[in-house]
Amino acid sequence: MKIGTPTEVMAGEARVAMTPDSALQLQKLGYECVIEAGAGAKAGFSDAAYKDAGVSVVKTAAALWKAADIVAKVRPPSDAEVKRLREGQTLISFFNPSANEKHMEQAAKAGATVVAMEMVPRISRAQKMDALSSMANIAGYRAVIEAGNNFGRFFTGQITAAGKVPPAKVLVVGAGVAGLAAIGTSTSLGAITYAFDVRPEVAEQVESMGAEFVFLDFEEAQQDGAATGGYAAVSSPEFAAAQLAKFRELAPNIDIVITTALIPNREAPELWTEDMVKAMKPGSVIVDLAAEKGGNCKLTVMDEKIVTENGVTIIGYTDFPSRMAAQSSTLYATNIRHMLADLTPEKDGTPVHNMEDDVIRGATVAHAGAVTYPPPPPKVAAIAAQPKKEAPKELTAAEKRAAEVAAFKKQTMTQVGLLAAGGVLVLLVGMVAPASFMKHFIVFVLSVFIGFQVIWNVAHSLHTPLMAVTNAISSIIILGALIQIGSSSFLITLLSAAAIFMASINIFGGFLVTRRMLAMFQKS
Amino acid sequence: MDFGFTIAAYAVAAVLFILSLGGLSGQESAKRAVWYGIAGMGLAILATIVGPGQGLWLMSLVLIAAGAAVGYQLATKVQMTQMPELVAIMHSLVGLAAVFVGFNADLMINTIGALFVENGGQLGAVVEGTAFTTVGLPGAVYNELSSFGQLIAKKSGVEITILRVELVLGIWIGAVTFTGSVIAYGKLAGKVDTSAKQLPGGHLLNAGAAGLSVVLAAMYLGDSGSWTLVLLTLLALFIGYHLIMGIGGADMPVVVSMLNSYSGWAAAAIGFSLGNDLLIVVGALVGSSGAILSYIMCKAMNRSFVSVILGGFGGATGEQMAVEGEQIAIDADGVAAALNEADSIVIIPGYGMAVAQAQQAVSEMTNKLRAKGKNVRFAIHPVAGRLPGHMNVLLAEAKVPYDIVLEMDEINDDFPSTDVVIVIGSNDIVNPAAQDDPNSPIAGMPVLECWKAKQVFVSKRGQGTGYSGIENPLFFKDNTRMFYGDAKDSVSSLLSRIE
Repeated sequence: MKIGTPTEVMAGEARVAMTPDSALQLQKLGYECVIEAGAGAKAGFSDAAYKDAGVSVVKTAAALWKAADIVAKVRPPSDAEVKRLREGQTLISFFNPSANEKHMEQAAKAGATVVAMEMVPRISRAQKMDALSSMANIAGYRAVIEAGNNFGRFFTGQITAAGKVPPAKVLVVGAGVAGLAAIGTSTSLGAITYAFDVRPEVAEQVESMGAEFVFLDFEEAQQDGAATGGYAAVSSPEFAAAQLAKFRELAPNIDIVITTALIPNREAPELWTEDMVKAMKPGSVIVDLAAEKGGNCKLTVMDEKIVTENGVTIIGYTDFPSRMAAQSSTLYATNIRHMLADLTPEKDGTPVHNMEDDVIRGATVAHAGAVTYPPPPPKVAAIAAQPKKEAPKELTAAEKRAAEVAAFKKQTMTQVGLLAAGGVLVLLVGMVAPASFMKHFIVFVLSVFIGFQVIWNVAHSLHTPLMAVTNAISSIIILGALIQIGSSSFLITLLSAAAIFMASINIFGGFLVTRRMLAMFQKS
Repeated sequence: MDFGFTIAAYAVAAVLFILSLGGLSGQESAKRAVWYGIAGMGLAILATIVGPGQGLWLMSLVLIAAGAAVGYQLATKVQMTQMPELVAIMHSLVGLAAVFVGFNADLMINTIGALFVENGGQLGAVVEGTAFTTVGLPGAVYNELSSFGQLIAKKSGVEITILRVELVLGIWIGAVTFTGSVIAYGKLAGKVDTSAKQLPGGHLLNAGAAGLSVVLAAMYLGDSGSWTLVLLTLLALFIGYHLIMGIGGADMPVVVSMLNSYSGWAAAAIGFSLGNDLLIVVGALVGSSGAILSYIMCKAMNRSFVSVILGGFGGATGEQMAVEGEQIAIDADGVAAALNEADSIVIIPGYGMAVAQAQQAVSEMTNKLRAKGKNVRFAIHPVAGRLPGHMNVLLAEAKVPYDIVLEMDEINDDFPSTDVVIVIGSNDIVNPAAQDDPNSPIAGMPVLECWKAKQVFVSKRGQGTGYSGIENPLFFKDNTRMFYGDAKDSVSSLLSRIE
């Protein structure tokens, strides 16, 4: 079968869904590859490079759509492109299915299959085809670069002969993939980075990237991020208020704000209000990665860079990945290639559309003449549910004292109990046994007692030498044999001789091997 | 026995033995402690040989010398990885010696009994005669007896019965120790299948044999003759064999320390029957030492002593959690790259390191990494290996300084700040299921929480499960990479790549 990639029709889109590298891999899956002339030009891949990789280049989009059985592209298809879909053809691209019912129905009616890349479920095994994440990663990086481009100072603090430069302070709101990428870039440029997210469980990830997590003074049973597939959910009005109050407090000191807060299938929440923008210093920069969904800051103008009256630059670009087309095309093409690898289990160039597979089912929005959106919830939970953590109850000093006393009492009770039981047992034995036995019995009891006292102090690391030593000294049984060997009975002498021989093997072997072991233990 | 010098020497020897065990609380004092033990043993033997009623001392010395030669060979030839086997086989010798000494005591009782009958008296009966000594034997006959014979001759009826109880105990425990240790040796040396195997009837068979032993012991005490004692010994030998056959390889640390304890109790029981206090003291010391070791090992596995003895991992109450994800392999270059970048590294060795004899390579790698200023430490789980403290000995042999070798409790909190963890040949002791899955057979067992580190590399021969046969979710974690291959080759291949 043939996989084809047309030139992106949307203005300003520089990415391409197939690279020469990915084409080579696709051919290994048994596919032939076709590309429209000039499709990779803006991303830096020439037609010649494609030809070298064994891709046939066709002149026009129409010819491509006709030739290809599977069309892979980046942006959601335009009206014209949807019309081109024919029966049995598969389209793999971003599709924005929640706001694109018309195209879905059209495609279904035409009998085409549509795989929407943004619908790939967030489960471990699908990470390799999660284009949202790979694009968000680029967006997060690029957001910091754009901010730096528009920010008049260094990121890192420096003390130079020409004066002292304070470090830039960056706040990243929303610690998803894009947020984390932004945090990583910003900290590695040397800025002091703060980050906030409504999901407190990501605090650890934030801190692992080198940023400081901004905690709210707010107590509420947070919704477990696992329930929503790792995405944020809408928070309560009280929580939102506490969050805004915190941002208001931070705003005057922050130089760069990068907002990435998106809630799936909703307008972006307003997090950076007008008064916060006003409170910021002139020269500060806001990069709103949620601009496409209305922006986390209401002053943001989609696809534009504006400067407010008090000199704050607000960047509302929505094409960050496209601004790094070479990188994003490589990653996206790899995502597409992995998707096709899953669709082609036999590697024979024939896709098998297994609607039982969680990943394939989740991503497919139109198949076999019907719209298949929204998909049923995946069978495998994306992220293990967080175990409910019970906060350990803070004990007051009095309670602690009481607990200690109780523990001490209990310990005393057990000790006294054991002693009493042991004492009674010894007394009982003493009632029946003759005095000559009891003399030895006392020795025995005391020795067991000493043994218990002494052995508890032995270091863990010396347990093997301990066994070797006890082994050697348990050969003290040799004394018994030595006493008996002088007997007149031949049998007794023979058995004693054997016992002496065996025990002395043990004595010498045991002590020598212990010495050998202990000599090895040395300090550095 | 009433010779004052002997008793005094025994007292000194007992003190020396206690000091020798107490000295094992630290690595440095331990080196001195062994000498205390050796001195105590030398003193005890010397005092016994020169003591009263001792014949054939030349032959005794020859036998001791022969034993010494064999012992020297064993101790100097043994590889440190084979320590568990050596310790096990040595226990069996103590057990067998106890059986022999016990039988001797029985033979002696019979001999003395016959002597009494010859001379018209009865063993154990208090005689108020004039022509006889106070015990009821003609003076000439009495003086002919060995010191042990005289001791028996002096005993009253009750004392003879107690003596017999003691020697039955000594023989029984000794026989169980003997076969048990031989089987443990076989399992540790790989000569006997390490999996838990039992004859049909299982523990009922053991219980039956034990019950029959009690009956036989009662018959023996009721003067049914020495054949009961022989039969009882055979039963005990069977119990030792069957008991240890039914215990799997992973429980060997408990088994070996348990047998250690038994050999002590056997010595103590024999000490009672011979009326020798030093035997009692040392037997009790060794017995309690082994018991404490068994307790520590059981606690480290979160299992009760009984469940170990009854064999097999039992008590799983429901479905175990299914393991999600896949095991991802990595090659030497990948591991080396991570090691080169890491600042803090923790190595978790297990039985697999001992099997592959990888400790030298691990030590070399440690030196190289430490020379680069990295913080390299070892985390030792109490039941790692097949003997308590097994890993410590192996690492010490390979000249890993003991101050970077840490116990589980000392290092468990440090894993979250650790860059790289290398797991070499251990499995159950790093299994997160022990904490996460209440239905896991090892649920509740304390484990090394290595998965909290940034990266974990597992050096492992293949994809199989550990001794307990439990799937290990650690191998499926996102931050875990599997480094397949023989541990020694794997670590050696890293050496050249660490620059």
